[in-house]
This record gives sequence, C-alpha cells and structure tokens, in this order.
Amino acid sequence: MFGKLDWSAIPISQPIPLITSLVVILVVLGVLGLVTAKGWWPYLWREWITTVDHKRIGIMYCLLGVVMLIRGFADAIMMRTQQALAVGGAQGYLPPEHYNQIFSAHGTIMIFFGAMPLVIGFMNFLVPLQLGVRDVAFPTFNSVSFWLTASGALLVNVSLFLGEFARTGWLPYPPLSEAAYSPGVGVDYYLWAVQISGVGTLVTGINFVTTVLKVRCPGMSYLRMPMFTWTAFASSLIIVAVFPILTATLAMLTLDRYVGWHFFTNTAGGNPMMFMNLIWAWGHPEVYILVLPAFGIFSEIFSTFSGKPLFGYRSMVAATLFICIVSMMVWLHHFFTMGAGPAVNTFFGIASSVIAVGTGVKIYNWIFTMYGGRVRLAVPMLWSMGFIFTFIIGGLTGVLLAVPPADFLVHNSMFLVAHFHNVIVGGVVFALFAGLEFWFPKAFGFRLHEGWGKAAFWLAFFGFWVTFAPLYIVGLMGMTRRLQHVIVPAWAPWLYISAVGVAILALGVISQVVQLVVSIRDREKLRDVTGDPWDGRSLEWATPSPPPFFNYAVLPNVAGEEPYWGIKLRAVETQQLAPEPQYEPIEMPVNSPVGFYTAFFASVFGFAMIWYIWWLAILALVAAYAGFAWFAWRDVHEFEVPVEEVAQADRARRAAREAALARLSEQGALP
Amino acid sequence: MSDMGLPASVEAIRRVREDPHRLGYRAHGAGEDVEGTGHGTSGPATKRIIVGYGFWIFLLSDIVMFSCFFAAFAVQRGATAGGPSIAQIVDVRRVAFETAALLLSSYTCMLSFAATNKRNLLWTQIFLFVTGLLGLIFVLLELQEFIELAGKGITPQRSGMLTSFFGLVGLHGLHVTLGGVWLATMMAQIQIKGFRREIVHRLICFNLFWHALDIVWIGIFTIVYLMGSGA
Amino acid sequence: MSDIKFDPEHPSGTLDHREDHAPGDEPLEDSGYWVYNANLGLGFSIVLTAAAFFLAGSHIIYGPSIPVALIVLAIAQMGVHLVFFLHITTGPDNTNNVLALAFGVLVVFLIGAGSIWIMDHLNQNMMPMEQMMQMQR
Repeated sequence: MFGKLDWSAIPISQPIPLITSLVVILVVLGVLGLVTAKGWWPYLWREWITTVDHKRIGIMYCLLGVVMLIRGFADAIMMRTQQALAVGGAQGYLPPEHYNQIFSAHGTIMIFFGAMPLVIGFMNFLVPLQLGVRDVAFPTFNSVSFWLTASGALLVNVSLFLGEFARTGWLPYPPLSEAAYSPGVGVDYYLWAVQISGVGTLVTGINFVTTVLKVRCPGMSYLRMPMFTWTAFASSLIIVAVFPILTATLAMLTLDRYVGWHFFTNTAGGNPMMFMNLIWAWGHPEVYILVLPAFGIFSEIFSTFSGKPLFGYRSMVAATLFICIVSMMVWLHHFFTMGAGPAVNTFFGIASSVIAVGTGVKIYNWIFTMYGGRVRLAVPMLWSMGFIFTFIIGGLTGVLLAVPPADFLVHNSMFLVAHFHNVIVGGVVFALFAGLEFWFPKAFGFRLHEGWGKAAFWLAFFGFWVTFAPLYIVGLMGMTRRLQHVIVPAWAPWLYISAVGVAILALGVISQVVQLVVSIRDREKLRDVTGDPWDGRSLEWATPSPPPFFNYAVLPNVAGEEPYWGIKLRAVETQQLAPEPQYEPIEMPVNSPVGFYTAFFASVFGFAMIWYIWWLAILALVAAYAGFAWFAWRDVHEFEVPVEEVAQADRARRAAREAALARLSEQGALP
Repeated sequence: MSDMGLPASVEAIRRVREDPHRLGYRAHGAGEDVEGTGHGTSGPATKRIIVGYGFWIFLLSDIVMFSCFFAAFAVQRGATAGGPSIAQIVDVRRVAFETAALLLSSYTCMLSFAATNKRNLLWTQIFLFVTGLLGLIFVLLELQEFIELAGKGITPQRSGMLTSFFGLVGLHGLHVTLGGVWLATMMAQIQIKGFRREIVHRLICFNLFWHALDIVWIGIFTIVYLMGSGA
Repeated sequence: MSDIKFDPEHPSGTLDHREDHAPGDEPLEDSGYWVYNANLGLGFSIVLTAAAFFLAGSHIIYGPSIPVALIVLAIAQMGVHLVFFLHITTGPDNTNNVLALAFGVLVVFLIGAGSIWIMDHLNQNMMPMEQMMQMQR
C-alpha cells in the first residue's frame, strides 16, 4: 500500500537529522500557523502563489535560494568541524554513512537549490525591466518553472526526516549509485528532486532565450542591451543546450535503478564511464550558467559605481558569447584521469586554458572601467573588488588544473575543492550578495543598512580566505576530498585554521541577517524615493521603487546604449522631464494557479516514485495532466489595466523625479 | 564606410558635436530603423512569433536529449554481453512500414495545417484524424516489435546494447504516444472552440513537434536499423 | 507582452519578408502553397527513404561505404523535411530560426561526436572484458 515506506524511515537513531527535522517541522508549522492566524492566505494566494509577474517570481526564487544557501552552509559547518575533530585516532561526531550524506547534500543543495534559484531569480527580476518590456515571453510558464524548482527543494528537505539522502556526492557516479550498491532511497531522492527542478530550469532557459530575442522595447537592438541582459541570454542559451543532457543522463540512471537496465552498470555491457562523460558534458556548462550572470552583475556595478560607461562593451559581448560556446567544449577536464589518452586530454586541456581568455578580457574591461572614473566604494563595489582579487586567484588555479599532467597529481584532492569554491564563492556568491545589495532598493523600495553590509562583506571576504587557503595547502600535501577522518597528522593544523575560517563566515552570514532586520526596522529612513538610489545607467532605474506591476506606463523608445543615462543627462541639461506621454490601456497576463498545481503533483509523483508507491504515482500523473488540460481550456488570458490607473502610477513617478530635479537645482548642482 | 560616405573620423567628430548624449543617434548600423528581422528594433514581437519561436527552442532542446541517447547507443552498440547483436534483432520489413506510416503522417499533418490556414474545420479535423491514426499504427507496430522480442527473452535487462536500443527507440515511441495524446486534446479543443488565435498557435507548435519527430525517426531508422542490420 | 496598440497578428502591417516569422509559419501564403510544398516534400522523402532501404541490404556499391551513403541520405532527408515541411529558409524573416537551428546542430555535434571520440579512446585504453574476467578467476 505504501511501497517501501514504513515507520523505520524516520531517523530515530540518528540525533542530528532527528533534531534538525523536528526544529524545521516546528518552524514550518509555526509559519503556516502565523499566516493562518493573521488571515494572510487570500493575499498570499492572489499576489504571490499564483502570480505570473516576473518581479515577484524573481523575489520568490531569491528567497528560496537564500534559505537553501543557509541549509547548505550548515552542512559546510558540519563538514569543516568534523574534519577538524577527527584527526589521528579520533572519530569526530559524524559516522561515515552520515558524513557521506552531508557532503552529498551540501553540493546538491548549494548548486541546484541555492545558486541556481538565486541566479535565475536575478534574471527573472531584471531582464524584462532592462529590456523595457512588461514581462517575459511566457509568464505562466515562468510560474511553473519556479514552483517545479521549489518542488525539488521540498523533496530534498523531506529526505531529512523520511529516509536518507544520497551518499554518492553531488554527482552520483555509478556503479556506486546503481541499485546493487545503493539500494536505499537516498539516490532516488536525489534523482527525482534534481530531475523535477531540472525541467523547471529548462523551461526558464527557453523563456529567457525567447524573451531576449523577441520581446524588447522599440529601438532596443542587440547592441543596445545592457550587459546583464547579454549574460542572462548567454546563460539561457547554455541552459537550453545542456539541461536536456542532465535530464537524459539522470533518466538513464533512474531506468537502471528501477527496471534493471544496463546503461551504467558494471555488468552485462553497461558502461560506468559513459555516465561521467555525459554528466560532465552537462556539469561544466552548468557552472558557466552560474558565473555568466554573475559577470553581468559585476558589469552593471562597475560602470555604475565608477560613473563611466562599461569599457569595451562590444568586446564584453564577444567575450560572453565566446565563453558561452567554448564552455561546451571543455568538459573532459573533469576526468583527465579516467584514461582517454594524450590526444584527447591535450585537446580538452588546451580548450580549458583558452576559455580563460574570455574571462581575462572581461576582467581587463572591468579594471579599465574603473580607471579614470570617480569610484564610489559603496557596499556593492566592495563585493566587486573582493571578487576581482578572489576570482583571479581561483581562475589561475583553474588554469593550473587545466594542464593534464598537473591535474593527475591534484585531481579530487583538496586543491580541487579549494579551486572550485574559490571561483564559485568568489565569483557567483560575491556577485549575488553584491547584486542583492544593489537591486534590493528597486525590489522593495528601501535601501539596506550600509554599515552592516560592510561588516558582512569584510567578514565574508576574510572568512572565505581563512577557510579555503589552508585547503589549497593540504591539497598539495596530498589530502583527498570527502574524508570523514584525517589520517595524516601533518594536515591537522591547516584544518583547524579552516574551521576558524568557517566561524568567521558564519559571523558574516549573521551580519547579513542582522542587516536585513535592521533595514526593515529603519525602512522609512532608508526609503528610496526617486527609484534611482545609485545614479544608475540602465532602464530599470527609470522605474519607481518598487516598479508598478506593468513596469512601464509607456514602453521606452531606445536610441542608444545606456538609454537611461542619456535620458537623465537630457533632463539635467534642460532642467525638466520629457513631456507627459500619451497614456493608453495596457494588457497584462492574468494570474494562474497552474504552476503551483503542477508542482504540487510533481512533488507527490516524485515522493511516490521514491518510495515505490505506484498507485499514488499514477494518480499524481493523471491529476497533473488533468490540471494542464484544464488550464489549456481557459478562455481569458489577459486583463486590461484602465488608462486612469496607468496614468496615476506614472504621474506619481514623474512627480517624484521632478521633486528630485528641483532639489538638485536648489542646491545649485545643475549647470 | 558611414551612412553619408564621409570618413569615420569626420563622422565621429560630427556625432560628438551634434549629439553628445547619443540620444538621437544610433551607436552603429543603418541610418533608418529596420523592422523585425535581426535588428529587432520594432518592439516586442507578436504572440504568434513568440509562441512559435519558444516552441522551436524547446524542440531543439528535445533533440539534444535524443542525441544523448544516440550517443549511448553508439557507445554500447557492441556491448552484447553474450546476448544477441543488433543485426540479429532488427526487422527491416517492419521498420519500412513504420517509416512509411510516420512519413505519411507528416504529410497529412501539413495538409491539416493548410486546411487550418483556410479555416476549414472539416478538413482540418479529417487530416488531423488521419495523422493520429498513422501515428497510432506506428506505435502499434513498435509495440508489436517489442513484444515479439520480449517473447524471445530479448529484453533491455539482457545487455547494454539492448538497453540503449530499447531506450532510444522507446523514447521516440513515447514522444509519438504523447504527441498522439496532445493531438486528441487539440482535436477536441478545435471542435469546441474553433480557430481561436491561441488554438492556431498551438497547432503551429504541434506541427513543428510532429515534423521534428519524423526527423528524429530518420536518424533512428538509419543509424539503428539500417546500419545495424548490415554493419 | 505586446502593447495593445500592436495588433496581435500584424504588428507593422507588413507580413512580408521584413517581419520575423515563427518557424514553419508563412502567414501570407495560401493553401495551394502548403499543398505544393507538402507534395514535393513527400515525393523527395519517399525517394530518399526507398534509396536508403534499398541500399542497406544490397551490394550495388562498395560494402564499407554503405554506412556513409546511408548517413548522407539521412542528412539529405532531414534537409528535405526542414525545407519543405518546416519551411526553414534563408530569408531575412527566418534568420533567428536558422541561427537557433545552427546552435542546436552545433550542440548535437559536440555531444555526439565528442562523446563517441572520448568513449572510444577510453575503451581503447581499457582491458577487454574477457581478459579482465580471466584475471579474476
């Protein structure tokens, strides 16, 4: 009746998951109870759960990402402390079977449910605003994407209190991940969580490729798009190209496990090495999916806080597209040691070194953007400068790893672990915090407290280096990754330093939370009145903070690069805004529950498949199809926003801007 | 050379003097706005284009997924683990019928789209029905093939080659089946709602899907069946 | 989202080659055009398919070149489908569609050819299964 599910699935004998589960369940029940008591459900359902507004979906993605980042960080704290404690004969506090689940969950959560949702959240919020349009190409599908990602995150968290998680690392290599060697539900949790959220991500990729190519405001030719939009586009192209590989490969592993097929088994003609090949053909482009929008965020921040246009815009675009294409030609560097021989290894080694040229072009362009500009060291700029320093070093260690003979010595050592954290934390995580600081006022209408922001940055920067520099050293000393206990005493001092580093990082995380709390408390003092708190250069800063749900009362007509900068300069010179435009009613898409509905049944389906509850799985599939067909039958897709509402919102925006202009003129700041 | 035939340096100075904030002067390119194609400066595209293009991108991603299964088959084509080889299991005669059925169904699908453009409900439905019927024949023939093989103990659990064979051919058959379900739903929608805008958009998408399935089948019958039978 | 002043089907009043078309869509063409293309496509496809089936079992051409000939026929037929059934042309109204197709073809090539190249080399360097089984006895 319930497949493999019975009472033994609850981890009664394991205190850490048990207590964590209890706390999480209590917190979730508490939040749900609070929402019910305050009668917020109608508002939440109407405005957030069924929304198809890209800004709200972006905010929900970022919220999901931040929460999961914290869970992944908790796993990291456990790993560092375990390695610091379990030296010599000591066993630490995490038995191997548990430790293996922790490092697997850490990687899976950080990449799939922490970094990806955050990056996609930024893309969602910013791209339509930067393109001067009202929403993405497929707003309802956007909602489906988000809820499917949330569904995957839900399944991973359910594994904490029902069953177990995978013990195979964040990429489940066969034969260990095959049914013969991992008979439990752990790998199945991984497979269904990642597969479901992968579908959501693929739909996002399709959505954004179509949006950038077909949905832009009048006059916005390709070479007038802001840099973040270009990188979001390149990232979406990679998503469309490689997420099908992930889908296919995980489906093959699922078939092996469930029906005894032989794609990757080590008997009967299966080929485990084929898994490594296919999964890294996805896995390498995946990290470029994460890092390209991060580069885009930095491009926006460097130009805004240097007061200069981005240096070498067209070479940036070329470098982005170059990285986009070459990222799909380097994947073998993840398995140089698997024995493909010198010819194959050399080709991929050279390609991996060559891709650094694109990144190098970008870094020089950012530095030249700062040169000759008036640099303001606001918090986003601090993160950006920290990124330049950190990412260059991480990239250099990457080029070292790209040389096959060198890689043979440090493959799967702590040197590798330090490298990829160096580029992901230094590149992606720093960008996300910089971007959160930069665009928070746009999304919520008030700035974040600057002092706590600076504290968070410095703690994160030093915390990162104190944590990961020692790992480079122990890696070169021969320590391999994923060790539950440490057999070589010479490694111990470095691991102690690393554990101290993680404590500093934890203080940084706490500072970020305090910053948020303080900012919400002081939000009236920090209010963003005009919508342009940083003297921005691209179109999103032309809207009020937060923008009305239709973004622009009248779609802008773009004539050059940095369109908003040009508009501002003309306003300053003529000391007035452009004349009031002709307002017209606007058509906007209606909200829809289909995303939530589909994801709900996807979660039920995933859970049923994990526990072999076949009748429930079939029921969930049928219900999901029925829901989709019902949605496809709807007659009303759009509603009309009346002219008065459009005019009212826009006149409020113009009044705020005129007031700001008047203030500047009083201060004698205008020419 | 610039629009007005002057040297680029003279152009640049003129540009800086006349329009220092670059508000009315395009950064580069032709002097007048070109509509739609490539430069995309005429504003957001119509829904018809957006829906069609988005589905085209989805189809390309689906073909990437198929290519993974093709790659698996190419790698495992010799991994017979003592079991039957590919030459021993392919039935070229039946594949010829399957190919004919699918090719004809692509043809009738196009004819149904022609009828849709003329807003002719009867012929649209007739040709869609024939398309579905031919697709059904294809799937039934494939099922017959699988059942016959299973009856002889030739199952995907037997060897790596058989796994990737059943995986690739089965994935395509699954797509055809799901396409058939979609087709039935579309026929019901057209009957009840008529040729509304979004229904026509979905028919454009269905057409793309069905033709793409035939393109993938060309790859399958060539690489798996024809090359498998001889080589 | 298109603004309300854009008619959903005709944004600029022109549906000729200066406006983008969705793939497979030729809004201005009449049904005669579609039927003509369908017939041509079917005709070419039948010829190419029959040739492939015929070639596979025969000895008309040099044996080892048969797989190459089959691949050429397959690519030709895919081209016939793309042109006659999917209306992918090189006109300016189809630029985005062709570029997307080119990108897809590139990715398929990288994965397919890349995987075969890599896996073949890995297999070259691997001991044959029979030898490995013997060593385990």
